[in-house]
Amino acid sequence: MTAQRPNVLTETTSSLSTSLVAMRPSILSMASTAPMEVMDPTTGDQVEEELPWVVLVWNDPINLMSYVTHVFQKLFGYSREKAEHLMHQVHFEGKAAVSSGTRAEAERDVFRLHEHGLWATMQQD
Amino acid sequence: MAFGRSRFKPLFTRVDQDSFSVNLSDGQRDLIAGLIEQLDQMLDTQSPALRRLFPEPYGDDAERNAGYSVLAGAELIESRHARVELMRSQIRAEKLSAADLDTWMRTLNDLRLVIGTVLDISDDGTEPGDDSELELFHVYEHLGFILEHVVEALME
Repeated sequence: MTAQRPNVLTETTSSLSTSLVAMRPSILSMASTAPMEVMDPTTGDQVEEELPWVVLVWNDPINLMSYVTHVFQKLFGYSREKAEHLMHQVHFEGKAAVSSGTRAEAERDVFRLHEHGLWATMQQD
Repeated sequence: MAFGRSRFKPLFTRVDQDSFSVNLSDGQRDLIAGLIEQLDQMLDTQSPALRRLFPEPYGDDAERNAGYSVLAGAELIESRHARVELMRSQIRAEKLSAADLDTWMRTLNDLRLVIGTVLDISDDGTEPGDDSELELFHVYEHLGFILEHVVEALME
């Protein structure tokens, strides 16, 4: 991302580690309960319940920092503060987890991010 | 183009809950008008400059990426055509609704993504490679300037 106004960059990086902590609990708690195996009633096969999918936004050198922050607020209803935390995480750490859910939910979020030109991917954690 | 005082005048100003006044110059409107037509024509091509508009969501999982492309690809193109069409009809507008300004924002960002890809912008602070790229680089920078004003107006 680029900072059209350089002073955006003067934001402290010390908040980055806390943003990770603020972001992760819901994802981690889901991940710790999800990987259980159940029997498929129709086939009798053992199937793995779907693990949560995490939506990642990756740093790119073109999108403006203000734009990325705005898109996070708009799409996910995040506060300005949380959206800026995530934007800084993308910028300084290369990527950030911005949402999580079922595969369908994650794919919908990825699509909405692609509709806004952000480099979003999804993976099962 | 006049910089100086006019540089600090907001290009988009909120008038009320759902409308913004547009203070773009004719030159800025002409620039945008020309660029959105080029984008409109490019969208149905396989141009590598469009790469950033259509990221692959599943990393190196080619099968799932293909599945996503089947489901989402056409819509990602069609919605961009629709946004260009709306912008074309409003290119001289003095006033825009919040939804309209959102459309402008996303299209301006698309233009930057395409031009930035053409310029091979690779990290913060990239400079134009040679004189032939200089004009396009200035266009890219100016689009960023306009987009920054749009975002500021919407976030205010």
